[in-house]
Amino acid sequence: MEQLFNIDFKRINSSNDKEAADRKKYFELFLKGGLPNKKNENWKFSDLNYIISKNFKNITNNDEYKFDEKIETIHDFDHNKVILVNGSLKSYDLHFEEKEKVKIKTLKSLEGFHHQSKNNLDYLNKALSIGGFNLEVQENYKCKKPIIIYNYFTANLNNKIINNSNKIKVSQNSELTLIEYNIGEKSKFVKNTFEKINIDKGAVLKNIILQKTKSNGYFYKNISGIQDYNSSYQNFILSSGLKFNKIEIDMILEKEKSSCHILSGLNLSKEEHQEIKTQINHLAPNCKSYQKIKNVLESDSKGVYQGKIFVKDIAQKTDAYQLSKALILNDEAEFNAKPELEIYADDVKCSHGSSSGSIDEEAIHYLMTRGIELREAKKLLIKGFLNEIFDNIPEEKIRTFLEKSIAVQIDEIQ
Amino acid sequence: MKSEELKNQEYKYGFTTDIENIKAPKGLTDETIKFISKIKKEPKWMLDWRLKAFNRLKVLNEPNWQKPKYPKIDYQNLYYYSAPKSLKDKPKTLDEVDPKLIETYNKLGIPLNEQKRLSGVAVDAVFDSVSVATTFKGELDKKGIIFCPISEAIQKHPDLVKKYLGSVIPISDHYFATLNSAVFTDGSFVYIPPNTRCPMELSTYFRINASETGQFERTLIIADKGSYVSYLEGCTAPMRDENQLHAANVELVALDDAEIKYSTVQNWYPGDKDGVGGIYNFVTKRGACRGRNSKISWTQVETGSAITWKYPSCILQGDNSVGEFYSIAITNNHQKADTGTKMIHLGKNTKSKIISKGISAGQADNTYRGLVDIGAKAKNSRNYTQCDSLLMGNKCGAHTVPYIRNKNSSSTIEHEATTSKINEDQLFYCNQRGLNQEEAVSLIVNGFCKEVLQQLPMEFAVEAQKLVSISLEGSVG
Repeated sequence: MEQLFNIDFKRINSSNDKEAADRKKYFELFLKGGLPNKKNENWKFSDLNYIISKNFKNITNNDEYKFDEKIETIHDFDHNKVILVNGSLKSYDLHFEEKEKVKIKTLKSLEGFHHQSKNNLDYLNKALSIGGFNLEVQENYKCKKPIIIYNYFTANLNNKIINNSNKIKVSQNSELTLIEYNIGEKSKFVKNTFEKINIDKGAVLKNIILQKTKSNGYFYKNISGIQDYNSSYQNFILSSGLKFNKIEIDMILEKEKSSCHILSGLNLSKEEHQEIKTQINHLAPNCKSYQKIKNVLESDSKGVYQGKIFVKDIAQKTDAYQLSKALILNDEAEFNAKPELEIYADDVKCSHGSSSGSIDEEAIHYLMTRGIELREAKKLLIKGFLNEIFDNIPEEKIRTFLEKSIAVQIDEIQ
Repeated sequence: MKSEELKNQEYKYGFTTDIENIKAPKGLTDETIKFISKIKKEPKWMLDWRLKAFNRLKVLNEPNWQKPKYPKIDYQNLYYYSAPKSLKDKPKTLDEVDPKLIETYNKLGIPLNEQKRLSGVAVDAVFDSVSVATTFKGELDKKGIIFCPISEAIQKHPDLVKKYLGSVIPISDHYFATLNSAVFTDGSFVYIPPNTRCPMELSTYFRINASETGQFERTLIIADKGSYVSYLEGCTAPMRDENQLHAANVELVALDDAEIKYSTVQNWYPGDKDGVGGIYNFVTKRGACRGRNSKISWTQVETGSAITWKYPSCILQGDNSVGEFYSIAITNNHQKADTGTKMIHLGKNTKSKIISKGISAGQADNTYRGLVDIGAKAKNSRNYTQCDSLLMGNKCGAHTVPYIRNKNSSSTIEHEATTSKINEDQLFYCNQRGLNQEEAVSLIVNGFCKEVLQQLPMEFAVEAQKLVSISLEGSVG
């Protein structure tokens, strides 16, 4: 592990000596355990140690944030822009919103991230984090337009690691649609992100994670959030195209009537490996959670879904649902699932379903008898399979945009 | 409240029989193993095999990933062998059997004496560790079927035992399986010759009797080409305060076109209503569908034991082989169950089906944990899994932990699970028609379990149905 990581602490800004000392301490702790491997239950299906060791010989930290070209923005719908370069907040443009209602600034202190460490990547993040953004929507303010975070990665990131941390807070009765748009296809690098989310009473947060093009990135993202009374969180994960991506979501439904939706549509091709791991903790009665994970697996890709629904004894009237579906298009591809339920309350409705298999031959036959070619028929069915995810997005322009970007991916299927 | 009284119903089958025991010296040592081997008059190869397992055991650690935790077991403080004294010289007929033993069996309703002819069940009864009597031998002999205690098979059919023992559960397996390999005392051995259909249900009743005796049975069933056998295993145990370890190994081998049906009703002492005492049921059951078109079907009704921890599995090696798992696990009071299955698909066109019903009441915890693994070469394979849990009250827990792996594009895996409580409407409907709360619950639960119950052979189905009702009486008030 020490040979793999060649970290220069001088290149990381620390606000004071204590922080600098803490960073070294956390790095020692990380080195002790190393990268998680498949002996760790959480990483059973994605052996990160193996994947990183196989693809990287030497990893250093990045300290360059030079913006090397113009970002091509999305023109399909009006939106506010936030630009991150290599994980660090570069600029923002929130001109659609009222002044002072939405605040974004660079996250400097890692306060609030000092919760109990769940995995070694948390130590690594605490040791090397360069900060990130801190976004807050004020009370009773419903954002007029979505915010797109252009998460831009430069071309000179080969063999580097980026550790960043973000905070998002949507205050009482506010609403926000946040789109994370990852750009940067050239470099081969590792990204380790920790994100904290607070959704206050009656607030709504919609989060869409999207990858612009295929990339050589190896990403890990940990999202942990707490939801207050009658709040709503919706996450759409559409980040196909990365070499490795694991998104871990840990949501706590702390107060009554909160709801959490996680939907994912991934189309994985050659040498791609994606894992979605969720833990939804129902701690209060009358909460709802809904998860739908769809994977299309081509070539030698690997898709993993690990989901856990936890229902505390007082969380009566919980309605929780988990569904994972995979279309396996090639014998080299693999789908692994572990949809877990841990339930201590009796008056609940909890169910999960999981299925994996190839495209329905009968459906293909049906389409072919109607004059549609085999390849077209397959694409049509895959499109239908993935598009179902978007049904939950009410804004038509965003939906069309997402459908369009998925269609581009599907066109590449042989 | 009436239901409250029923909830605390004492274990009906809790009684002990006073018979003087021969015991091996306490503790787990080479000497203990040599003692067991000697008293069983085993050949040297068997002793060597045991010692090999024991050496392996020394480097293994007890697993700790399971949900139900238990106090540390002091393996040096257990007796590894105890036999009813009256069996030192094996009885030739039933008349020679200690009448007290017969009485115990009668209380349990085991059809050993007069009842054996009526019920048509051949019983190889294991009282503690030594097989007492084996009935219906004659009829089975005629067909060439071997059904005897494994200790006898080791002497009489060493070739078969050597070939198959440890071939499904190797001695280097996990901790409890290896422990069993080192110290197993007795169990059943079944061999069905080619193209033979076993004319009756084979059955063994296990009973734990002597205090502080871990029971380590070893069962080996081999169904040769084109044969069929249905095997029943049922358990009730006397009341006891100390936790007793039970680590049995069951190995099934099905060759070409053979079918094995293995049914279990387990009703060991679950501990009292405060969770004191009870049996630790840590069993390794594994079947190998070695041949083409072979089939292994596991059915289990688990109502007893303080902790039930087992995963009857199928290794589907042969092309077109089929694995099935039907399970009802009922936990009440402080009982804990962590059970499920593993279906490992290796051959082409293999199929498996899992139906699991978990019911928790009181402060119990019930976990379904299962693995479905379809390998890259297992083309056109299929799996269907359904696991439903029923919760009664908010002090108990129901958990589902399925592992699903699909490694090829022509195979399909489907998995469904639900967790709910007894439907109020159904209860209301039953009440309206004059059934009281208890009867209504019993009826609904039996309906919930029906898919599994109907897989049991007739002899067992009735007993199991009764058990399901008894185990849950008073859980809904």
